[in-house]
Amino acid sequence: MRFLALLRKELRECLPWMLLAALVFLAFGGFFLRALAYDQRHYRYYPNFSSGTLVEHVQLTQHTPLLLTGSCLFCSSLGLGLILGVRHFWIPHFTRTWPFLLHRSVSRKTILAAKLTAGTIAFVISLGTVWVALYWYANQLEAYPIPQTVRVFIEGWIFIMLGLVVYLGTALSGLSTAKWYTTKILGLAFATVIIVTTFSQWSLVWAFAVIAISVVILLSLIFDTFLRREF
Amino acid sequence: MTETVLQTESLTKYYGSVLAVDHLDLAIPRGCICGFVGRNGAGKTTAIKLMLGLLRPTAGSSRLLGCDSAALTPAIRQRIGYVTEGHRLFRWMSIAELEKFQRSFFPKQWDDKFFADMIEYFDLPKKRKIKHLSNGERAQVSLALALAPNPELLIMDDPTLGLDAAIRRQFLEGMIELIMRQGRTVLFSSHILGDVERVSDRIVVIDKGVLRANCSLEEFRAAVKKVILSFADSAPDEVNIDGLLHCRRSEKGLELTLVGTDDEKIAEWAKSVRAERYNIIKMNLEDQFIEFTALPGRKKMFRWEER
Repeated sequence: MRFLALLRKELRECLPWMLLAALVFLAFGGFFLRALAYDQRHYRYYPNFSSGTLVEHVQLTQHTPLLLTGSCLFCSSLGLGLILGVRHFWIPHFTRTWPFLLHRSVSRKTILAAKLTAGTIAFVISLGTVWVALYWYANQLEAYPIPQTVRVFIEGWIFIMLGLVVYLGTALSGLSTAKWYTTKILGLAFATVIIVTTFSQWSLVWAFAVIAISVVILLSLIFDTFLRREF
Repeated sequence: MTETVLQTESLTKYYGSVLAVDHLDLAIPRGCICGFVGRNGAGKTTAIKLMLGLLRPTAGSSRLLGCDSAALTPAIRQRIGYVTEGHRLFRWMSIAELEKFQRSFFPKQWDDKFFADMIEYFDLPKKRKIKHLSNGERAQVSLALALAPNPELLIMDDPTLGLDAAIRRQFLEGMIELIMRQGRTVLFSSHILGDVERVSDRIVVIDKGVLRANCSLEEFRAAVKKVILSFADSAPDEVNIDGLLHCRRSEKGLELTLVGTDDEKIAEWAKSVRAERYNIIKMNLEDQFIEFTALPGRKKMFRWEER
């Protein structure tokens, strides 16, 4: 009940940004999907895709109408990660609401877990659902004659997870008591390195592994900082 | 034996090289209303945050309701009400939302009727958002939120700061509501000595992080006094009297601020230095506090025209 109360509060604080991210992604991602699907259906850019042609698997991944939609997802995800990180871990310093929040009949771990759970749910609901919807749309025969590969779908989720990494990085930077030019930017710098490293992986398994390891590292640093930090 | 609900032992806090709280040894017995007073930057907020485990001490320790402040359990926190400095609440929530949020952390203790009564008494619309409330209204909500769970110990950090006289009176009356519940302990920091005098039965004075007084209000009132002596010739060069805090000189007079010196001793000393006349002046609490915490060497008035 107490965790749910905290979770509700954190989700409510995320809500405007969740909606904004979902709308931005839906508007731009949907627009590009429609545009590319229409162009490709008329074989303007990819004549190899004409009827009866044997198509390589790799071409399906590279020549997908979800190409620019994926870029939109990536940008929306990073933006949402940054904004939610600031909302959850920076704003309370400025509004000085940490003491009120921390003097609860729950442990600090619970308070932090509620924040992080809300952040994760925000990503899944706002960007995840829109991504699923757009992927489903791209798979409709009337939208695009060739089915989309699962890899494209998974890549979208990797973009969403990179947003989560940015969220955690921003949280770590927000909780750090160091000065700007020293270790305060460590969290954000780490997130940037993880994004670059993930993009350099062709194998999805390796990409997932990089993200999973970074999430574990960031979570352990965040918990350690939050439990020891002065407010 | 009286149970101690709040105890600090050599509680010390440094911010970098700045000493904020200096070996604070404090014991607050159950059932008292304790005014925690000190000048700006005296270390009141830091001390309160240390007691609540929001800051970590550089040295020493503190205990609330028998539990180490550094490791306050959720069960102990449930028994402590806390009104934060500046009444910082979630601005986007309405009073009703905030009530629901706060209630969920006190499922068994929360007194719905008490909260509703207080909100009605303060004439606050429950649907109004915190960001649309004035400072005074926020303070009232803050107090109602802290009192509704019926806490054993209520800690308030400068709760009446920035409130006008009428709101302050309402706020103090709300506090008295709690005081009337048996066995409840209140610690509140304040700059307004009138408030302290009105509701407290104990006073703790902190100055530059150092504990200067921890006694009952009557003891403090009786202890700090001003004596004005006049002499036929000139005042003595040396002033040797127990409990001397400050001494101001004029051509044929002395103005002494004394702590803990009884009237008989003052009379004896006045006789020994051949004072023509002496008067023990009754001070109000504010004057006593100012004299008590005034720094030696800061007696000269700031003169604008000299600059």
